[in-house]
Amino acid sequence: MSTSDRDCGADAAAYVLGGLEPAEAEAFRRHMSTCAICQDEVSAFGQVADTLHLVAPQLRTPRGLRRRVMGAVRAEPRAAAARAGARPLVGLAPGLRRWATAGGLALALAAAVVGATALFSGGSSSKLIQASVIGSSGTAEVRLSGGRAELILKGFPRPPAGDVYEVWLKRPGAPPSPTRVLFSVTSGGAGDVGVPGDLRGVRQVLVTPEPDGGSLAPTHTPVIVAQLR
Amino acid sequence: MFRVFRADLRSLADEDLMALIHDGEPRALEVIFDRHGDRAYSLAYRMCGQRTVAEDIVQEAFLSLWRSGTRYDAAKGSVRSWVLTAVRNRAIDAFRRESVTASRDVADEEATARLAADERTESEVERREDARRIRAALGELPDEQRKVIELAYFGGFSHSEIAGMLDLPPGTVKGRMRLGLTKMRVALGDPPRVTQ
Repeated sequence: MSTSDRDCGADAAAYVLGGLEPAEAEAFRRHMSTCAICQDEVSAFGQVADTLHLVAPQLRTPRGLRRRVMGAVRAEPRAAAARAGARPLVGLAPGLRRWATAGGLALALAAAVVGATALFSGGSSSKLIQASVIGSSGTAEVRLSGGRAELILKGFPRPPAGDVYEVWLKRPGAPPSPTRVLFSVTSGGAGDVGVPGDLRGVRQVLVTPEPDGGSLAPTHTPVIVAQLR
Repeated sequence: MFRVFRADLRSLADEDLMALIHDGEPRALEVIFDRHGDRAYSLAYRMCGQRTVAEDIVQEAFLSLWRSGTRYDAAKGSVRSWVLTAVRNRAIDAFRRESVTASRDVADEEATARLAADERTESEVERREDARRIRAALGELPDEQRKVIELAYFGGFSHSEIAGMLDLPPGTVKGRMRLGLTKMRVALGDPPRVTQ
């Protein structure tokens, strides 16, 4: 594999077409990691290669294929659940101790809460709580019904690139407990997320942006605070 | 245990659905299948020429997406590209198992429903127009360039295998691939970058 400028890019077309032998492709990838010329060539040729599938006569999937594919997928729930359980978790961030103390939490809430109000629905079995949205637009509500909670977002911004929103349950005197609920919102800022776990004793439902894969403890101040009690 | 993101999945962008798939939500994969299944099957059928094999390839491709522990990275390409790459890879795997031979024009007597000429949904009109432009760009290439591109992309052959098939030096095959893709870039409205 030549790395001279004169030859750079010579393998890019073959690479994007899948036409290099495995060892050649691996060597080219290593070379490309430090060669802007080859990166540009691969990017440009890749855009063309991405369209080649359209050369094929465009067909409809045969009847039954969708059901068959989804049947096979649903027959493997353990693989997905295991992957979810093995999601990488981030340890305590340096500034976390301050955040996790009751004093720190009170400080964050005092600076952030703009008057959470509890709205009661007509029936006694459900309750709608207006949550505080901090530092961004949009609204958030927590619907409590039958001991279960649902977080409903409207007009809410997407998390920063590479991040995901994570839901936490906060009990008095304890650090926020992760729920393993990770979510984003639609392009329109809508979201509807079930909050799992036992809500007894939970004082707040919190949402923070976290690195992809979630965290064991919050690494950012909350962007949503719902005061349950 | 985690809760499924319950917003209307069909309103989500592909990238958002991929995140849900990674977290084990099969309905998100169903939406991805609905959006890209036709293209996936079309490519698989074009490569192997047999309906049942093409169906197996598509199923394996989507299963591989479901099983993959790698979170989708938008920087590496669109979700559609990711799906079609999985289809190509499964087809090439099938070729290498020698259970299937790459086929370009094998007629399959079983009915293969094509997109109807009078399909009028916006996406399908756009897709037909894109297909027309790509076929025209490929068709305008000299035979020698078109052939090596088709053998690599649809046949899954390496440049050295193609060189052997066509009795050409390996460098010549790579050069024809580069010239062909460069011409297609120009034909499709993307002028080539001058590298010297």
